[in-house]
Amino acid sequence: MNRIFLLTPLIVLLIVCIFSLIYLLTGKDPNKPPSALLNKSVPIFESSSLYNSNEIIKTKDLQNKKTLINFFASWCSPCKVEHPLFFEIRKNYPELYLLGFNHKDPTLDAKKYLKDDGNPYHFVGVDSDGLIALEFGVFGLPETYLINEEGTIIYKFMGPLTKDILKNEIAPLL
Amino acid sequence: MKLHHYFKIIFIKFFSLIFFTLNVYAIENIDEKVKSLTLELRCMTCQNQSIYDSDAEFSNDIKKIVKQKLQQGKSEREIKKFLVERYGEYILFRPLINLNNIFLWSFPFILLIFGLFFLLIKTKKKSV
Repeated sequence: MNRIFLLTPLIVLLIVCIFSLIYLLTGKDPNKPPSALLNKSVPIFESSSLYNSNEIIKTKDLQNKKTLINFFASWCSPCKVEHPLFFEIRKNYPELYLLGFNHKDPTLDAKKYLKDDGNPYHFVGVDSDGLIALEFGVFGLPETYLINEEGTIIYKFMGPLTKDILKNEIAPLL
Repeated sequence: MKLHHYFKIIFIKFFSLIFFTLNVYAIENIDEKVKSLTLELRCMTCQNQSIYDSDAEFSNDIKKIVKQKLQQGKSEREIKKFLVERYGEYILFRPLINLNNIFLWSFPFILLIFGLFFLLIKTKKKSV
């Protein structure tokens, strides 16, 4: 009896440890660090158009419309891989606003890239110093964010988008 | 040249020297602070490397931001908060002490208490 009394706290501790470990480790992929901005409001930003520096886009311009934000650059090879998919998105989801942020790219290179490969975006904002990417918590290109009508980030994907990701993860949110 | 001109020159040189020394000290001090802070930050695009040790583009951007913020007079705590808000707690090597991490921080002490408790019972039994 005395032995059971002594061992009870140890068993309880062991159970707590096991459950805590399960909680801490389930669904956590070390290759996909968690996004701090998921389910939070879009950060405040202001960016000029790649084609016309007088044309500005701000956070409040995204209100009342679903927006897909994509950070890309001409020097980013994985961006090239996912690029054709944005034409498909634009065609299949005409109500979705596509906002591209050209990240740390010389203007001429960015324009040439979009001329050669086509421009699927409704607006291409310039993020020459990377400060907008910093506000969004971007740590590698390409990165894609889905914003709902309330201006909340409801989805984030790091790396090049694929048809499977579009079909299984993004489409259900549109 | 009059004597007070010499004094003027010496005065200017003396204060220029002090200003220069303080400036160098401030730069070195900020660089030291950048080093100590970025050593505590995780490079999110590398394999278990600190921002300080990494040369990845992401790390270089963060180093720049940390330096900028320190020059603006922000404290280490404010800079960490700024980064955690954008990149999550994952960017910190040392987890924050908050309600979410209470188990993590208190677990060694819980183990210690349990260990001491059993040790006490064992020694009591032996002495009996």
